[in-house]
Amino acid sequence: MAEAAIDFQQATQTQIRSGSFWRISAIARNAFREAVRDRVLYNLVLFVLLLTGASIFIGELSGGQERKVIVDLGLSAMLLFGVFIAIFVGVGLVYKEIERRTIYAVFSKPVGRGEFLVGKYLGLCLTLLVNVLVMAVGVSLALVYVGRGWDPLIFTVWPAVLLIYLELMLLTAVALLFSSFSSPALSALLTFMVFIIGHFSADLKSLAVSLGGTSARWLFTGLYYLLPNLANYSFITPAAHGRAPAPGFVFATALYALVYITVILAGATLVFSRRNFK
Amino acid sequence: MSINSDASKSHRLKTIALASMVLVGIASAALLVRWTDALRPPPDPNAIDESLYVNGKTARRISLGFNGLVADWYWMRSLQYVGRKIMSHPDDMPIDNLGQLNMKLLAPLLDTATTLDPNFLDPYEYAAIVLPSIDVQEAIRITQKGIEANPNAWRLYHHLGYIYWQQHDYQLASETYGRGAEIPGAPPWMEAMKAKMAADGGSRSTAREIYTRMFEQSSDDQVKEMARRRLLQLDSLDQRDGLRKILTAYQMRTGKCPNSWRELGVPGAPLDPAGVPYILRSGTCEVELDPKSEIPAK
Repeated sequence: MAEAAIDFQQATQTQIRSGSFWRISAIARNAFREAVRDRVLYNLVLFVLLLTGASIFIGELSGGQERKVIVDLGLSAMLLFGVFIAIFVGVGLVYKEIERRTIYAVFSKPVGRGEFLVGKYLGLCLTLLVNVLVMAVGVSLALVYVGRGWDPLIFTVWPAVLLIYLELMLLTAVALLFSSFSSPALSALLTFMVFIIGHFSADLKSLAVSLGGTSARWLFTGLYYLLPNLANYSFITPAAHGRAPAPGFVFATALYALVYITVILAGATLVFSRRNFK
Repeated sequence: MSINSDASKSHRLKTIALASMVLVGIASAALLVRWTDALRPPPDPNAIDESLYVNGKTARRISLGFNGLVADWYWMRSLQYVGRKIMSHPDDMPIDNLGQLNMKLLAPLLDTATTLDPNFLDPYEYAAIVLPSIDVQEAIRITQKGIEANPNAWRLYHHLGYIYWQQHDYQLASETYGRGAEIPGAPPWMEAMKAKMAADGGSRSTAREIYTRMFEQSSDDQVKEMARRRLLQLDSLDQRDGLRKILTAYQMRTGKCPNSWRELGVPGAPLDPAGVPYILRSGTCEVELDPKSEIPAK
């Protein structure tokens, strides 16, 4: 009986190892290692220098508002650096494999195109997670330094960091989608445009409401719902005032991100699976 | 062996040459910057007052979620703008009396900062303290905008009441303090201030109450400093009233005003609350603040 149980366990483990999950995680780990080897995380040095400088000098410039400025500066830098990584590393994820022809070696093994894309995506998300976590710890430490002890603002910084990370995950998926059918330069440009338009989503909605023509109204309403609403992930300014988002709001935005990412990755897989590499 | 040693020597020489080139290049670039700085025409003094290119609403729209950081930048720019103007003036000036410095850009800067981040309270406070001597309507508008965006911030009612009090509109000041007093969490002195404004708005004790509260409540060092100096000024006004009484009594007794403090029987000049001796205008029975004193004359 016990032997049978052990056999079943081993068989299940083998199945899992040879299954999709194992292949995706292997590709993700590899993508993460590649990003580290490409010195992507070096931006953390710049971030630390920025925060250290701000912590020391901003007190004199901000008229006693150094805590607010540190949160604004730290979280904005986190978003900005993250956007650059998501765009510039994200658009090269697939392209580099094609350019170096390593994609043939990957696809000669039993790896599906969807698995390859999802693995690459998760690898970059892991890189961004490490990046964001280190930066968030940096912001918290800067607040402790400026406040000469524990600062309640630290509690409101972390939910805002979570929202920033969700925004970066969304943007990485968009970058991956464009890179699955376009050149890196064009993909970077298109992803950056999505980032900009995503922050103008409220304007799209008000534009749709203010327009007289039915077709124009439909167009802008359609764009409002079609494009990712990134303005919802901007919680930097309230965080600097000590306001945290409601748990329901965080849950809704996380769910939206999950749904949107699933849609984008499905779309990217659809496009990528039709590509001919010969 | 010899070939290897030659190659390594040549490699070392190359490294030294390149490193020297980098160092000499940086030094030359620094010298060239100094030279061009010397050749550059002096900056236009009016450039500091050049109008803002974008208004608050546009700046908020194009800030792409970085509006808090951009608001901080406008806030720091406002402080530097005021600081630069004060430094360009030979006399020491309190921040609530900067009307003669022609600070036409201050209101747009503070307005933009508060449009970018409507919950940022310090720019509203700064507008309520500094702007009334420059543009009182803008000061009222920006503070009212702050109240609209932060209806629970009782401190903004205190600042708006302060502006009305400065305009000698004690009725409106009383109403404003009254509205602020109704906010949950507002301190009891807001209610007391409402009554004081209505009954005794122009008195020195009301002024003392306002500046004491401002000193206690403000988180801005400049505002605290202004309130501290205004409190010293109020103490000095009381002291000068006392001294004038002594001088008038002396005049009644002797038929003339004293030429020195010694004539009054005082060993030396009395000190103002900042520790600087008062000046006695000889023969006029008038006592004044020394211009060197940190207490504002007006």
